[in-house]
Amino acid sequence: MNSDILISVQKVSKCFNRGRPNEIWPVREASLYVKKGEVVVLKGPSGSGKTTLLGLIGCMSRPTSGRIILKGQDVAKLPERFLTEIRRKTFGFIFQQFNLIKGISVRENILLPLYPTGMSFGQMSERVEELMETLSLSHRAGFPVEILSGGEQQRVAIARALINNPDILMADEPTAHLDSKLSMNLLETLGLLKSRGMTIVIATHDPLVFETEMVDRVYEVRDGRVRER
Amino acid sequence: MIKHLKILEFALSSLLRRKLKNLAIVSVFTTVTMVIASILFLTHSFKKEALLILQGSPELIVQRIQAGRHALIPLSYVDAIKGLPGVGDVRPRYWGYYYDPLTGANFTVIAYPEGIRKTEIIEGSLPGANEHGYCLIGSGVADARFLQIGDELFLQDIKGRVLSLKVRGIFKKSSQILTNDLVIISRPDFDRLFGFPEGHATDLTVQVYNPTEIQNIAGKVKKLLPDTRPITRSEILRTYDSLFNWRGGMLLALFASSVLAFVILAWDKATGLSAEERQEIGILKAIGWETSDVLTLKFWEGASISLISFLTGIILAYIHVFYFSAVLFEPALKGWSVLFPDFRLRPYVDLYQCFVLFMVTVVPYTASTIIPSWKAAITDPDSVMRG
Amino acid sequence: MKRYQIFISIFLFEIIVLVFLLFSASAQVAKGKKEMLSLKDLCSELSLTDLSVWTEARYTRNPSQADWFSPFQDFPSSVEHFPAGSLIEPPMRRKR
Repeated sequence: MNSDILISVQKVSKCFNRGRPNEIWPVREASLYVKKGEVVVLKGPSGSGKTTLLGLIGCMSRPTSGRIILKGQDVAKLPERFLTEIRRKTFGFIFQQFNLIKGISVRENILLPLYPTGMSFGQMSERVEELMETLSLSHRAGFPVEILSGGEQQRVAIARALINNPDILMADEPTAHLDSKLSMNLLETLGLLKSRGMTIVIATHDPLVFETEMVDRVYEVRDGRVRER
Repeated sequence: MIKHLKILEFALSSLLRRKLKNLAIVSVFTTVTMVIASILFLTHSFKKEALLILQGSPELIVQRIQAGRHALIPLSYVDAIKGLPGVGDVRPRYWGYYYDPLTGANFTVIAYPEGIRKTEIIEGSLPGANEHGYCLIGSGVADARFLQIGDELFLQDIKGRVLSLKVRGIFKKSSQILTNDLVIISRPDFDRLFGFPEGHATDLTVQVYNPTEIQNIAGKVKKLLPDTRPITRSEILRTYDSLFNWRGGMLLALFASSVLAFVILAWDKATGLSAEERQEIGILKAIGWETSDVLTLKFWEGASISLISFLTGIILAYIHVFYFSAVLFEPALKGWSVLFPDFRLRPYVDLYQCFVLFMVTVVPYTASTIIPSWKAAITDPDSVMRG
Repeated sequence: MKRYQIFISIFLFEIIVLVFLLFSASAQVAKGKKEMLSLKDLCSELSLTDLSVWTEARYTRNPSQADWFSPFQDFPSSVEHFPAGSLIEPPMRRKR
């Protein structure tokens, strides 16, 4: 096997409500791989199973069958505690709805992943100042997130995903709530991250995203099945 | 440790998001704790003080009962009781009540017994053995009649004549709980005031050498003199114990509805995991919080509110009861009386009661914050996020 | 100052106040001990059996002693209705 491969998904299926009348299989026998430093896009219409697949890759839930090899380790069968640790150390997530916590400041939202770690307050604030500087959020540091514009909220979400120095950035429909100008800004930011060696997995159906040149590979997801394009 | 501090930090900013709501909970929680703790402090120290003082009361009192009512006891009973083995001294008590139309107060009048020693609680001087025309009064009586040492206290005797008594001594205010309504006068004055029949006393006090024999002696007295009723000290103490428990309990019962309202409020606040909170737990899990971290967060949210409220409540209760004489409950807990002692209670605090109060407030509140989050926190983060 | 520092300061402050109150309580109790003892002595010298708290109803000044119970007590309009007698004041206008 190629040692560059960071994630390898092998015949993974996911079932909800198994054995009940509302049983569904959003992901069926999906296989794909991601190499270090690549930008990979999971493309497909809404309801095609991309978000579930992204959740499986990001160790947010466990597959019903199949194997997910992350850095040479099968994570599909690891207990919850280890999954959480992997999630914290390896992945940074940008969610479709941003999933920021309302009522608390931009700074605190970005710092969220660091609260349950042993990092000191000093180190934390150093890190957050640096990130806010990079993503030009410094002037908003003390504002509650809900009064920020969509683009700014998106940048907060990115900053939060990056605060723990992840190996892989996962983005679910990152442009869904942005106009084209802001989408371009986002892609610029992602390009910048790629140039720094970050591996990025994006689930999207926005052509603006999967037609940019930084994308290395596109997988098409349809009815839970994955096909490389 | 640093992790706990950081989660605490986040819990606090999380609480500050719903500033008004949480402030309301803290103030209600504090008030409830304060009221309950005040009742507990007040009844406990009152009871403690009463029971300590009444340790000095006679071991056994013998009263005569006539037609089911308390009647004057013939002095001939003294020798009969003295004859019982194990009985020490038997003394007649002369006491009664005097309604003072001038002030609307009831005084407790006692014929001066021998053997009172001068202590710092009596201001003035004690009368000699065969003196009469004097009185020693409680400070409540002195205040009601505006009397000072050397003044005259006028009472009306049974035939309507004025009995003038010179105030020799006044019991200090600090002894009010025992002496507030006392008027102590000489035997001849007592007889004149009430027209007491010759050879009778109000009742008898009996000294018993062996404390374990008191019940026994009481039984023997009842057998020897069937028209009497012996009352033991332990019975009196028990009466007081239940009297204060009753008063405290009644207040608590009055207060129960507001306690219940608080319980419902706290329950609703703590257990009702809104969709928003569920979503937040999902977010935290998704970005790498462990289940235990989420529960720690909820623990601190509950504990910080309940700990601060509890401590504030206890401190306020202490100040309220022991520095401000429980002004807020005066009407209900203290009751009413024309001659009423100042409640300057000595602060006997029962740590066990505080502990119990802690266990029934802080612990359930914190627990009810954590438990509903448990379910949300153990599910897969992606299913929590999808609702 | 971080929020947790403020919280811990308040918490510690309250603990200190509480400990101080408890200490002053036991100090006050210790200080009043002599007076307590002389009260107890007085109690035995006068052969008193009861406290002077509620003196209006005869049985509440001396609740442990049987008395001449009667529905009409000396206090004007103070119609006895145990146990309310010691709890509720007679109406103001009828008091005197």
